Amino acid sequence: MNKKKILIALAGNANVGKSVIFNHLTGLHQHIGNWPGKTVERAEGTLHYKGFTIDVVDLPGIYSLSTYSLEELVSRKYIAIEKPDIVINVLDASVLERNLSFTLQLMELETPIVIALNQMDIAKSKGIQLNTKKLETLLGVPVIPTVAVKGIGIDKLLEKAIEIVEKKPSEKKVQVTYGEEVESKIIKIVKRLSNAQLIYPHRYVAIKLLEGDEEIEREIQRIDPEIVIAAKEFAGEIECIHGHCCSTVMTSERYEAAGCIARAVQKVVSPMKPTRVERLHNFTTHRVMGYITLVVSLLIIFYAIFTFGDYTSEFLSNLLYSLEPAFTSVFGTGNIGKLVWGGIMDGLIAGITIVLPYIIPFYLILYFLENSGYLSRIAFLMDNVMHRIGLHGKAFIPMILGLGCNVPACLGCRIMETQREKLLAAFVTTLVPCAATTVIVLGLVGDFLGIHWALGLYLVNLALIFILGRLAFRLVPGEPTGLIMEMHDYRWPHSKTILKQTWLRVVEFIKIAFPLIIAGSFALKLAEVLGWLEPVALALNPITVVWLGLPAITGITLIFGVLRKELSLVMLGALLGTTNFALVLTPIQMIVFTLVAMLYIPCIATIAALVREFGWKKSIFITVFEIVFALLIGGIAMRVLGLII
Amino acid sequence: MEKRNPKSRKLPLTALKKGEVATVASISAGHGRGGVFRKRLNDMGLTPGTKITVVKSGPFHGPFEVLVRGSRLALGRGMARRIFVEIEQ
Repeated sequence: MNKKKILIALAGNANVGKSVIFNHLTGLHQHIGNWPGKTVERAEGTLHYKGFTIDVVDLPGIYSLSTYSLEELVSRKYIAIEKPDIVINVLDASVLERNLSFTLQLMELETPIVIALNQMDIAKSKGIQLNTKKLETLLGVPVIPTVAVKGIGIDKLLEKAIEIVEKKPSEKKVQVTYGEEVESKIIKIVKRLSNAQLIYPHRYVAIKLLEGDEEIEREIQRIDPEIVIAAKEFAGEIECIHGHCCSTVMTSERYEAAGCIARAVQKVVSPMKPTRVERLHNFTTHRVMGYITLVVSLLIIFYAIFTFGDYTSEFLSNLLYSLEPAFTSVFGTGNIGKLVWGGIMDGLIAGITIVLPYIIPFYLILYFLENSGYLSRIAFLMDNVMHRIGLHGKAFIPMILGLGCNVPACLGCRIMETQREKLLAAFVTTLVPCAATTVIVLGLVGDFLGIHWALGLYLVNLALIFILGRLAFRLVPGEPTGLIMEMHDYRWPHSKTILKQTWLRVVEFIKIAFPLIIAGSFALKLAEVLGWLEPVALALNPITVVWLGLPAITGITLIFGVLRKELSLVMLGALLGTTNFALVLTPIQMIVFTLVAMLYIPCIATIAALVREFGWKKSIFITVFEIVFALLIGGIAMRVLGLII
Repeated sequence: MEKRNPKSRKLPLTALKKGEVATVASISAGHGRGGVFRKRLNDMGLTPGTKITVVKSGPFHGPFEVLVRGSRLALGRGMARRIFVEIEQ
């Protein structure tokens, strides 16, 4: 009896405080991964409570349980197949009606539920009074009011969840009843399904068949195609009666039911007057002030991250390189010593000096912006611009991330709705110059030719992003999605949640990037020790020397840049024996080299991130395309610049 | 789609001005796979008969900010164009 296991799933709309509750419940015992074979994130954690081992799964934030998106499908299947002992449905008390419409769908899955009525404080500040007892009665489901960011109600929630699992109370189930016409059709379909063995409840299947749910239709097609045909006929009849498609009618009726419950349990006491958060919202989405705020905040963020990053990165790298003599004394200066230090340790140091100084602050700020609600305002402001390259406002977010590092940016493309949009956003993102690229641009062109040339290169890069983005948008099949996004009220984020989210991301980054950076660094060192670099450089001569007009040595350094972009410049300095590049490179060569380095390939860690999200085929395609494209542009630039300079 | 009430004016959401309140009449399915966007808009609470308030239209032909069922939504122009509304007279 004393080692009982309980499986809890957290479900609810996006931005209702689900992850805050998840963090309260699971503390540090959590990890994120993907759902098997899907690019949908899965957060899991474990807690021990009163002799129970409780596994908690945080389902994605969704608005419906249909098959509109992978997230919805994954959640629905999880609840139906894994049958969690209890689902904690987190609701935003300040937007009750919409949240309840999801609850009603969840109840159709006939899973045990407890409701966390979260953000009671925000509801209160909006003048909304809620009668939780009445809500409990109307839904037939226990309701616990919570303020997750302050930890209020979490213990009670957990107690209640365990209590339900223990007692298996047979509370009278309350069901959403649809309008008469719809109900009669549901009953008819349920009757025909009576002998079928299904993973979903029969009533649910009947409802989804009427709604024209593709997954369920496929399922039933195998069992009895006649049922699908009958359901389609019924749906047609309902469409005739109501003048709207059946799925719309049913969603509408569900919302009606949710609205009825919401109106019965809530009382708006104070008239809605613009509160502080409202004024902040109006300011940050204003047609002039909004953009000024956006630009200023981005500048401050980048300035802060790069200042902090540069300083810390240098400090760490000095610290770590001071270990070199110790290593040399152990492994010697021979080939083994070279491989251990120049291969493995160099790779490790490279990783460390990126992660700590740049990635960590980046994620901290990103999550602050996301949890506070500002990211959705940014998406709102940038929607129009992003449409020019066939994406919508949300895609701007991975692109900003890309300026820091392409790896989290590629992973960040998950926020897009469809697989097509995810891929397009990721492709565009890999063209965004990351922090390491910035080092090359500023260190070479910026230092030796002046800042205006560096800015010029950025503008060229931006133009190319737009051109290629548009092109990809035209070529990749599928229909573009428009922006449909909730902008929840601004709120002060929960700091522990931000820290934990950051921590999980950093671990994820280390897992993806470190093995490749170290292995790649080792392989290159090995090639150097074996004397393979010279022949490679020679073989690349037609490209580097003839087509790009660069010194032959750049063939090698550009290969090193695959590991980390700035290595291509660092190596160039090392191999040429000087960091005064003005002595060894002409201005044109500097520009061409920088341009190629900016565009030529997502670094090895980015490729790993791409593979993880989109598979080998697409990743290789993007990589090869960008190499060819960069070389093409580099060669053209060399010839054009030759005419100008 | 349907025309049950020829007297009332049926307009795309994009025709509304800032601050105007209207009722959702219908949402065109567009040419998307099985009306996925309509489904998505429905799921966000935009169903026929729902009251919708235009808070503002985004700058430079940007998205619309609307209030629906107590929540604030951002809708891209492409989406807003599919939503047909009736203004009460």
